[in-house]
Amino acid sequence: MSKKLAAELLKAATLTFEEMGFLLPTAEVDEEQRNAQAEAAVSVDFRGPFSGKLLMRVYGGLLPILAANMLGEEDAPPKSLQYDALGEIANVICGNVLPGIAGSKEFFHVSAPRMTENIDLPPAAEVQVGFGLGRADLLLFIGDLAPME
Amino acid sequence: MALNILVVDDSSVMRTMIIKTLRMSKLPLGEVHEATNGQEALTVLDGNWIDLALVDINMPVMDGEEMLNSLRQNPATADLPIIIVSTEGSETRKERLAQKKAGFVHKPFTPETLRFAILRTIGGSNEQEAGG
Repeated sequence: MSKKLAAELLKAATLTFEEMGFLLPTAEVDEEQRNAQAEAAVSVDFRGPFSGKLLMRVYGGLLPILAANMLGEEDAPPKSLQYDALGEIANVICGNVLPGIAGSKEFFHVSAPRMTENIDLPPAAEVQVGFGLGRADLLLFIGDLAPME
Repeated sequence: MALNILVVDDSSVMRTMIIKTLRMSKLPLGEVHEATNGQEALTVLDGNWIDLALVDINMPVMDGEEMLNSLRQNPATADLPIIIVSTEGSETRKERLAQKKAGFVHKPFTPETLRFAILRTIGGSNEQEAGG
């Protein structure tokens, strides 16, 4: 697994969660965050000089907090909006990580986000980011994994 | 002059975030319209006076660049101020959008970034009204 890919993924994820979700990552993922319950997973495909997929899973109550923060609401919004918020976060992270890997001249098409199950392949990079009692896992897969819409 | 703004993005959450940012920005807002893709946006533009459109790129049915091309080819909308709000990281594509006279705001954005891009796109008189 490439350390450079993981570093780019962590940088894009941290920036996106901070600026869009108003969530500051913890310095490390602690035991409670590591054992948190999985809530949802979303993925986006990309095609360009190379193809692949970014998969993001969230744990431990992060999903409603993220959506409420993005919408500026105190209460958790409906599930459909929570998934929409999660998809948009994944989309923005993917759009920000690709130029860091491929360079700013290259052009990629990024698909609409979709709710996703596991992918039975080793990721090219994987990072965990802790937030409060929960966490987000980001897995970057390189290769032609699934048809884009 | 109050600005009528069209926000085009397939994500309902992102449209809401952009509209909230607009409302916080002290810009003189008139009507705010929403569309979920370029085709829907063209229909909104057909029936409403719009001063500025904020447009995502990656959308189903008709993407933001196709919408921009369509608007620039129509004499009635050729000069409509447009800001692309996207995760796009390709300098090549951003230069192409600039050649089509579209501003650009990169996601994620801060309220200040969006406000500055709007003021730069719509120009002087509104900038003064907005306190900029």
